[in-house]
Amino acid sequence: MTVRRFEDVEFGAELPAFEPDTGIENVRRFARAAEMMAGRFIDHAEARKEGLPGAIVPGVMSQGILAAMIHRWAPDAEIVKIDTVFRAPVMVDEPHRVNGVVTDLDAETRSVEVDLTVTNQAGETRVLGTARVRFLG
Amino acid sequence: MEIEGLKRRFLNLDFDERSFEVQKEAMLEFAAACGETAPRYTDPAHADFQAPPTFCARFHGRRMLPGDFPTLGIPLDAGKAVMPQQPIRAGVKLVGKSHLHDIYEKTGRTGRMIFLVSRMELYDEGQALVSIVDSRLVIRERPAA
Repeated sequence: MTVRRFEDVEFGAELPAFEPDTGIENVRRFARAAEMMAGRFIDHAEARKEGLPGAIVPGVMSQGILAAMIHRWAPDAEIVKIDTVFRAPVMVDEPHRVNGVVTDLDAETRSVEVDLTVTNQAGETRVLGTARVRFLG
Repeated sequence: MEIEGLKRRFLNLDFDERSFEVQKEAMLEFAAACGETAPRYTDPAHADFQAPPTFCARFHGRRMLPGDFPTLGIPLDAGKAVMPQQPIRAGVKLVGKSHLHDIYEKTGRTGRMIFLVSRMELYDEGQALVSIVDSRLVIRERPAA
């Protein structure tokens, strides 16, 4: 479900969750675009040489995925601020889920606060954050 | 290391400046890889075509900290905050200026951790502020020998 107007947002509303593409080819695509072609992002063997269990998704990509979820929910809204904490690695080629929930509404600025998470299959939170989102309509 | 002393010496002093060019192909690939679906980020023919709001988080200065900042340990990436100020259009040239915005500490079970907030402010060719990116670095303090 998408929302267009501030008046249509309810406290506690959950954003439509989705499973981002964290496959190695898509992460390489991101890494090329972001000029972040470090081995730990694009090659499992290189990541293992650095002591990681495998390649990891760049934190900036996780943040971009969370922003994309907000735009899927509210296509016309503007992100005023998005703040993310990289708590633990998001592993490449493992399924993850992104979720968001509305935790505050400010009628004066027509903006809402959203809590954000990226979780793995075990339900462990790997990235968490908040965003302030302003509705223009 | 005394936090107030570090603040007095290092906060709000620009320590790096770097230029970037925003390329349309990179904007589109960034948006697609992140799963963006809003046409203003995915369709170059859209009247309001622009980079996704977190696009600027990919820009890095030449250094993370001031050159004379004391070595306290290895800084690890603890998170990022992005505050977009203006839409970023394809082809624009940006200048990123970095300074330390905040220094604070937290003490946990394993000892003291020092957090450094390195802020990059990105300006367009008309000197308009287009985005602010805060990178939080955490340093686990080394035990005294």
